Amino acid sequence: MKIEKYPVIIGATSMVFEFTSEGIRGGIPKLVIYSATHLHNFYNLGFGDKNIISGQIDDEVITNNGDSEKVLATVAATLYTFTDKFPEAMVFVTGSTKARTRLYRIGITNNLEEIQEDFEIFGLVGEKAWRPFQKQTAFDAFLVKRKKK
Amino acid sequence: MKKTKNTDKKPTILKVDKSLDKYLNKGLFKDKIDKANDVLKKVGIPDFSK
Repeated sequence: MKIEKYPVIIGATSMVFEFTSEGIRGGIPKLVIYSATHLHNFYNLGFGDKNIISGQIDDEVITNNGDSEKVLATVAATLYTFTDKFPEAMVFVTGSTKARTRLYRIGITNNLEEIQEDFEIFGLVGEKAWRPFQKQTAFDAFLVKRKKK
Repeated sequence: MKKTKNTDKKPTILKVDKSLDKYLNKGLFKDKIDKANDVLKKVGIPDFSK
């Protein structure tokens, strides 16, 4: 993606990333976490705002910092670092709301050719079946895996 | 100092901070992880062929 990205701080496991959104509402810390699931090599990607006072993470807040494209590009870029360490990982991505899942779909659609250079990507249809990602199709979640080079 | 824009595919890594890994044990994004596990159980995984 040719979109500018924020620099990140990374955990020693390569499963946690932190960066700061810099926009009209100031600097807002963001956290990206790749969490293990019941299946080996199947991870959930979660991200949200980090409350600097409580340390809690909120993945439902609407930040409105005017930099959503750069934030999403940064989150997507962490997939490269994560899958460098875990090349067989499948990463499950869904929004905290339908609107946010739709936002992710738009972001994927706008960068699909470049994403597909390096990743296979499937969409979940009606929580019943995985289908190869297609533009202009509503999905409930996404699953990506790094292509073998 | 002039800032350079990173438009590479990978993010610029400022530093490694092992304290970030504490978030892996806090049960964050439980709803999404539960959904991922539910989808795994009901739908399984697609055929990644490449």
